[in-house]
Amino acid sequence: MNSKTIKVETLARVEGEAALTIRIQGDKVTEVKFRIYEPPRFFEALLKGRHYSEAADITARICGICPVAYQMSAVHAIERALGIHIDPAVRMLRRLFYCGEWIESHALHVYMLHAPDFLGYEDAIRMASDHRALVEQGLRLKKLGNQIVTLLGGREIHPVSAAVGGFYKVPAKRTVRELEPELEWALEASLATVKFVAGFEFPDFERDYEFVALAHPEEYPLCEGRLVSSSGLNIDAAEYEDRFVEQHVKYSNALHSVVRGRGSYFVGPLARVNLNFDKLPAPAREAARAAGFQPPVRNPFRSIVARALELVFACAEALRVIREYQPPDLPRVEAASCGGVGQAITEAPRGILYHRYALDASGLILAARIVPPTSQNQRVIEDDLREFAAQVAAWPLEEATWKCEQAIRNYDPCISCATHFLRLEVERD
Amino acid sequence: MKIIGCGNVDRGDDAAGLLVARRLREWGIDAVEECGGGFALIDSWAGAGDVVLVDAVVSGRPPGSITVWDAGMSPPPADRRTSSSHGFGVAQAVRLARVLGRMPRSLIIYGIEGRNFDLGSAASAEVIEASESVARRLAATASCTCSPPPAGFC
Repeated sequence: MNSKTIKVETLARVEGEAALTIRIQGDKVTEVKFRIYEPPRFFEALLKGRHYSEAADITARICGICPVAYQMSAVHAIERALGIHIDPAVRMLRRLFYCGEWIESHALHVYMLHAPDFLGYEDAIRMASDHRALVEQGLRLKKLGNQIVTLLGGREIHPVSAAVGGFYKVPAKRTVRELEPELEWALEASLATVKFVAGFEFPDFERDYEFVALAHPEEYPLCEGRLVSSSGLNIDAAEYEDRFVEQHVKYSNALHSVVRGRGSYFVGPLARVNLNFDKLPAPAREAARAAGFQPPVRNPFRSIVARALELVFACAEALRVIREYQPPDLPRVEAASCGGVGQAITEAPRGILYHRYALDASGLILAARIVPPTSQNQRVIEDDLREFAAQVAAWPLEEATWKCEQAIRNYDPCISCATHFLRLEVERD
Repeated sequence: MKIIGCGNVDRGDDAAGLLVARRLREWGIDAVEECGGGFALIDSWAGAGDVVLVDAVVSGRPPGSITVWDAGMSPPPADRRTSSSHGFGVAQAVRLARVLGRMPRSLIIYGIEGRNFDLGSAASAEVIEASESVARRLAATASCTCSPPPAGFC
């Protein structure tokens, strides 16, 4: 019987370092290992004993691509623990803050990391030789996202202004409105992006996933909503740990999250668009229809289209916020009490990000729990590869390897975010 | 001349470029700091005339060794193993900027050889000494109207 091993020691065009091994006997896949070898980072342990006001800045350090997501999940969880209700203007600013991160992260992935797969280039630099305008457009979108994050967070990477109860400093109305012309361009560029990526050739591959995302009755989800799934899940963030569990696998430094009693699930842009299509702004819905993107879409390779649709949403939403923005009376509200337990889920660019904090009466963190999106997608990535590798088993090895790498990039995994352990268990004889 | 120091002050010898930028500012010479992310670098040198960039490098030479490249002539070698977005650093930024026509008029890169990049560690004595040396050289260049120094091993 023919055997083949697809092995990639260092995956290209993902956020961080990971490896892939797939063993195939005949037309059967016998082993799939998506191995995250970056060292674990123990952020949950680092948080213990620190004051709740430090959590946003500490957890922002988990990721240079999506620090806003960590800050938003942290402050919302702590605000729930402390019973804080934020000013509506602050809530709007947080949506703008998050839109900035979605724009920079999605632009980076669509243009620089994923488009080269579909256009047949090893990387974005080689792609730029033939598609200069395309790369320039991606860089300009990414820069705009960074500008929004800088405006609200003080700097583009690991911003420093997010606080429990609001922000340490909020921008003036005039400063916010200065973003308008570039956002108007970005909205048009995003619509063109949807049309462009929808024209890519997608492998014929579909699976019956459980898509999981936040859902809000009035808006496309960012920071609030119930957690719903295509299999009927509908819970509050406080119930998350009752329904999901992280499992350790020997070969990876990242835990695999599964739905208790069911298994893998799918988070991120494709899940969000499938579960919240009617909450997308009208231009995004029209672009989707024109592109033949009719939810539910179960081909993970078409995640790039969902990500482009979310670029449209993020630009449209940012425009709405800056046009309606009135600075709050106070940049943040103070907590009346200190102790409690709070959970929150927000939508990071790659999918849901869960935080839980237990605080003592002096506001010190007794326990912290963080489940990043890539931990949640790891198992479904392996499940995809188990089926997809069988489809490409007869292909030349180099081509099959590329396609399997591309299948991982469908999820835009953030490896560095995912490397955490709940606890260390030392076994001795 | 625009001077850019790259690095992370909490990653041992990776602080090299930042040490140079900070010393120059103490002497009243403009120098900006960047984390070394390639996309930010392209923006940082956009529209600039002559640019000097200082960063830590790993090439196997002794710690504190200084290498100078003229990126307009040939980009610094990229480590092909770091092909993730986290590896999109100076070398990749130069390559992309060349393709896009977004290079400054001239770009001289000073690489200071590092060995220890542990989280939370301080820069080694060799790298601190080399950073002082590079800062003195750039201060001398910045204070006169002559061109940046020629590329080559120092």
